[in-house]
Amino acid sequence: MLLACAGPTPAAAQPQTFEQRGYLDLTLTGYPQEALNDPTQAVGDLLFRHEVTWRKGSLKIDGAFDTRVDTNDMTERRMALTYWDRTIQRPLFAARRLSASWAYKRLTMDVGKQFVRWGKTDILTPTDRFTPRDYLTVVNTDPLAVTAARVAVASSTDSLEVVLTPRMTPSRMPLLDQRWVVLPPLPPGLSIADRGATYPEGPQVGARWNHIGRWLEHSVSVFRGYDHLPALPVSLVPGTGVLEVRREHPRLTSVGGDMAAPLPWVTLKAEAAWLGSDTPGAQELVLYVVQAERQVGEWLFIVGYAGEHVQREPSTFRFSPDRGLARAVVGRAALTIDSTRSLVFESVVRQDGDGTYARAEYSHALGAHWRLTGQAALFRGEDGDYLGQYRRNSFGAVTLRFSY
Amino acid sequence: MSKWMLIPCAVLAAATTVTAQDARQVVAEAQARSTTKSQRYEGRLQVVDAGGKTSEKRWTYTRLGSHGASKTIIRFTGPAEVKGVALLIVNFPDRASDQWMWTPAINRERRIATQDRRTRFFGTDFSFEDLEERDVDHHTYVMEGEETLEGERCWRIASTPRPGRRSQYTRSTLWIRQSTYSFAQVENFNGSTLVRRLRYRDMASVQGIWSARTLEMHDFTRNSRTILTLESLTYDVPLRDDQFTVQALQRS
Repeated sequence: MLLACAGPTPAAAQPQTFEQRGYLDLTLTGYPQEALNDPTQAVGDLLFRHEVTWRKGSLKIDGAFDTRVDTNDMTERRMALTYWDRTIQRPLFAARRLSASWAYKRLTMDVGKQFVRWGKTDILTPTDRFTPRDYLTVVNTDPLAVTAARVAVASSTDSLEVVLTPRMTPSRMPLLDQRWVVLPPLPPGLSIADRGATYPEGPQVGARWNHIGRWLEHSVSVFRGYDHLPALPVSLVPGTGVLEVRREHPRLTSVGGDMAAPLPWVTLKAEAAWLGSDTPGAQELVLYVVQAERQVGEWLFIVGYAGEHVQREPSTFRFSPDRGLARAVVGRAALTIDSTRSLVFESVVRQDGDGTYARAEYSHALGAHWRLTGQAALFRGEDGDYLGQYRRNSFGAVTLRFSY
Repeated sequence: MSKWMLIPCAVLAAATTVTAQDARQVVAEAQARSTTKSQRYEGRLQVVDAGGKTSEKRWTYTRLGSHGASKTIIRFTGPAEVKGVALLIVNFPDRASDQWMWTPAINRERRIATQDRRTRFFGTDFSFEDLEERDVDHHTYVMEGEETLEGERCWRIASTPRPGRRSQYTRSTLWIRQSTYSFAQVENFNGSTLVRRLRYRDMASVQGIWSARTLEMHDFTRNSRTILTLESLTYDVPLRDDQFTVQALQRS
């Protein structure tokens, strides 16, 4: 009723448009080394993503649907369409996005499965609490949408958004029996069993205010909900020698802010968030990032530091790609060679030197529909380091994409 | 110094002032005649590299305001892999523009570093600076004479950025058609080196404003060309300020 009455023009009098696009990705990944828990050295991955948009006046409906298969059991074989993204493996068929958006002057309302992205930094985004990710291969992560109602009011200088999600969407961590989970050597007679996940059912809320000033753009955000990254309590089943691992998501409260200052020589960006929890044994810390970026001709350079100040360590294991990138210097250089070709180099070096990650990517559009991308990634370091533990996971990959 | 030497110097100085003022007046008139409240078109970009290989992109361009104090949203509509990518440019009369890019693949807007406006726009031969709206007061002008360009009589005007005004070009030469006060060509130099040449072609009166429907930018440093064809060009489209915010960029 509100939608029908508040618009300046009756929706029926406005033209409707329907747009669609999508792509088919075929990725072949090769690992020169076997992992201790995973002898697989070649993986093929196929993704078909189709996106549709329907508009009528100020009403917009977005949908995106994924179909996946791979050769390494990362994808379920269940023939069902997944909406909630709460599966341990990637779903075979998934509604990646399904949302309705309505805008009237300065007000925007979004309802449904949507992406809510907060933060300004690229290396690590401590305030981006509504963006779980698919971490199955840790390096090439894909954001996951959340089911939410979002209301935003924006002027040319200020915006305020409030987000409510009825239930959380977890990040998808690497599979326990694959190379992106590096387990410590177990004593003889002990084995590990994946007992799935326990997901909380409560709602999550958050709000963010952003201001664009002449010299500084900054925002403040608060979040109350659950950590989309799992804690991994381990328990020994008496008399069996089986260690059971399950995923749990502690409550999380976050207060943070971010800023971008376009200075004469560099654009300075910074972001920080305090992450606390009332769940017993959960971690409490401040994550922060400072980065500088500068465009020089066709090159974009980003250099930054991601840090943490830990107030309370978690009492259980935790899958922590956020903290895995903290206490590290991160650099990225991207070159636009011409309208069809680009080159990217990026690296992460832990400040204690215990872990290093470097990646190079070359991408070349072939005509209007095809793109070929090649990448190579190198991990080096110590077993106890988040990056160093993946030193057997250096890889090369080729992706062929057909877009339509 | 004898008074006989003073007289020619004074005459020369006066003549220079008059011609400089005339040149500025020509540019000001060209700007006045092209000033609109808003603009919208669908653009087709063809990039022809030094080897003759062509790639194509399409966008919709929407602008509110004009010359130095304007807001623009450029939204790519093709090819498929860049469809939906959108750019918000907020131009200011006294400083570099603020720019944000919306990338639907990662569902995120990103503030763009604009320290180097020489950077080519999405691999085309237009730099970010070339896409900014320029105000007549950003430069000083000297009338260099008259020339016929592609059959049209033009004023040829030298343009230099005012002190303190940052530009990748140390000077430019403008050709402005005498019949319509519309730009015919701009050559941009770095020192004595010709860097880029922009030609305004396929002129037509759109809502009483003489407009080029084809812009051809030639980058001499790379020997590549970008041809921008403007389709469905309209002026003074009813647009609101709230359609040019970062939030609006996301829903564009």
